[in-house]
Amino acid sequence: MGYAPTIFRLGTLATFPLGAVVLMLASTPARAVPPFARQTGLACEACHTIPPELTAFGRRFKLNGYTLTTRPPLVEDVDDYKRNTVWLTDLPGLGILLQATYNHYNRAPPDSQVPGATAQSENLQFPQQWSIIGAGAITDHVGGFLQMTYSQPGGTFGVDNTEIRYSDHTDNNDWVWGLLANNNPGNQDVWNSVAAYPTLDFSNQSLWSSGGIAGAALSGPFFEGLGGLVAGPTAYVWYKDSFYLGLSEYHAAVSGSVNTTIDSSDLAAGGGVVQNWAPYWRAAYEHDWGYNAISVGTSGMYTKFTPSLIAGQTVDPGFINRYLDVSVDGQYQYNGQHYNVSFLARYTHETQENDPGLVPTYFSNSVDHLNALNLTATYYYNRHYGALINFNRTTGTSDSTFYGGNGSPGNQYEVFELDWLPWFNFRFMLQYNVYQVVNNNQNPFILLQSSHPRASDNNTWDLGLWMDF
Amino acid sequence: MKIPTRNPLMVAALAVAALFARDANAADPVPHDESVYGAKALVSMACSKCHGYTGVSVSPLFPNLAAQQPSYIEWELQLFRQRARSDPHARAFMWGIARALDDEQIHGLAQYFSSQPAAKGAAPHDSALAAKGKSIYEHGVPEHDILACLPCHGPNAEGVNTFPRLAGQHRDYLAIQLRQFTGQLRESEIMHRFTQNLTDDEIAAVSEYLSSK
Repeated sequence: MGYAPTIFRLGTLATFPLGAVVLMLASTPARAVPPFARQTGLACEACHTIPPELTAFGRRFKLNGYTLTTRPPLVEDVDDYKRNTVWLTDLPGLGILLQATYNHYNRAPPDSQVPGATAQSENLQFPQQWSIIGAGAITDHVGGFLQMTYSQPGGTFGVDNTEIRYSDHTDNNDWVWGLLANNNPGNQDVWNSVAAYPTLDFSNQSLWSSGGIAGAALSGPFFEGLGGLVAGPTAYVWYKDSFYLGLSEYHAAVSGSVNTTIDSSDLAAGGGVVQNWAPYWRAAYEHDWGYNAISVGTSGMYTKFTPSLIAGQTVDPGFINRYLDVSVDGQYQYNGQHYNVSFLARYTHETQENDPGLVPTYFSNSVDHLNALNLTATYYYNRHYGALINFNRTTGTSDSTFYGGNGSPGNQYEVFELDWLPWFNFRFMLQYNVYQVVNNNQNPFILLQSSHPRASDNNTWDLGLWMDF
Repeated sequence: MKIPTRNPLMVAALAVAALFARDANAADPVPHDESVYGAKALVSMACSKCHGYTGVSVSPLFPNLAAQQPSYIEWELQLFRQRARSDPHARAFMWGIARALDDEQIHGLAQYFSSQPAAKGAAPHDSALAAKGKSIYEHGVPEHDILACLPCHGPNAEGVNTFPRLAGQHRDYLAIQLRQFTGQLRESEIMHRFTQNLTDDEIAAVSEYLSSK
């Protein structure tokens, strides 16, 4: 998810309350993890093409529960049956991640305090995000990744991605299996194909906030916005380094809420709450040859969700919308001696059945559809110089009551990025975000009461610094 | 320094000298701890992720270890542990993996991988290139002062003692190693001398031949 402490992103529902701009946080994922390097003694390139994208070895490290080390444990106690009672590594698995950015808007965004006025076109976020990471082997079969993050512009500090894994395998590694719990559907993915771990750095998928103005979330698949809203277990199996199947169940787990069903404050902040258990699946096939790896897969989630319709209003939990998200994805990687190339594609179709009691007051249609296409290509030379191109297109059913304006949830934008990594854990990034379509209330420039806010108003240059240690 | 090139006795003398030089620099022993991972557990947990469970790897970035000479595996692991071999991949991968291995573990790993059935050679992409490589391997290139590989690595490139098996190794891996020897990125006094005049074409030829064996 990148960052989602108490304020989280809910895809299309972020624009729910009468078109008001909902405070969203530009989020970034965990990237490379120095505690893993300390534990294994391996350079970052063992697990990453360029962080956060995983190599074939990185996928195996994660699926094996983050436990790989050849170092003897600092403490190992066994019972009379020689079973471990305590197994502790000799290194604390702690790391720091820091990210800063300087942004320039194509057009000065609206001022947050004075209606009709504009803020500065530039802003400097130092830091934009600051995380403390605890990661690595907890026992010889259990590992974890726990992230706490401070993030701009909200200025909040809270729980970010959290995952604990148990794994085991046959001697010959033909079968690897595991159980895990996490707070973000997709965080468990090792092919970087879901929103929790996009390939993008300094992702601008939430329209960039600037000058104190909160950015607005672009429409997107519902299940990609559930990080921090839910938590649940996953069981997975990995066969012959090729076939993967993981099945999960997620339940509402809003931080700090006693009653996650009808707590009105949480409803207002998050746009609603997940009801009961939401199943999530991930299946993939990978084939490796030479320097190459190719994978195809599917993921998806079925979610029952009670939306909050107006900020602060308690909603009868009897109203339930049903979301079915189905994604297919593919990835190709070339991980050679001197350069890396990767292509990543994902297509998601979403069916949103709206509760009859909410139609037509809050939704125009009884069923809405959403389609999202994401394409990413990266090239890195000698892991020092790189470029990335990312294309995103979302289309869907017109629902003027739900989305406002002309009713379309559509958006389309590209990200062009140049990277320089003087060290593998220290990256400078120049990024240009180009918007062709930003529909309706998701466009912050509508606050300027411009009769026709242009999508290109949102174009931004970002100069970023990312480092972890 | 130019080395005499057409004298088999000198070749043999250099090889023997290299062996003794290595022995003189043998690693300090690290006492074995019964509680640490055994060789097979290490293979399962760590080595197999890159080199394959039976020592046959997928990516040419990582060498096949199946049927490799046990003395060579032991020697290289000791070099990794001591950080005495410092080519880029050794630093990125093996320094960390080998840093906490004790001698018993290293010995066990060498025995395990050396006893696995050898990888089958890949069909040559270019038969003419492979034939040229065979000639270089067996006879050297006298006009370039390049010595034959066969006296040390064996008639079937199976290796002996600390001279590694080369047969069936990944073509790209072999080429990368030869370039690292010529560029002196990977330590080996004898290989620096033997490869100093190798051209890129000759490296490609030898690699093509050996990977197809």
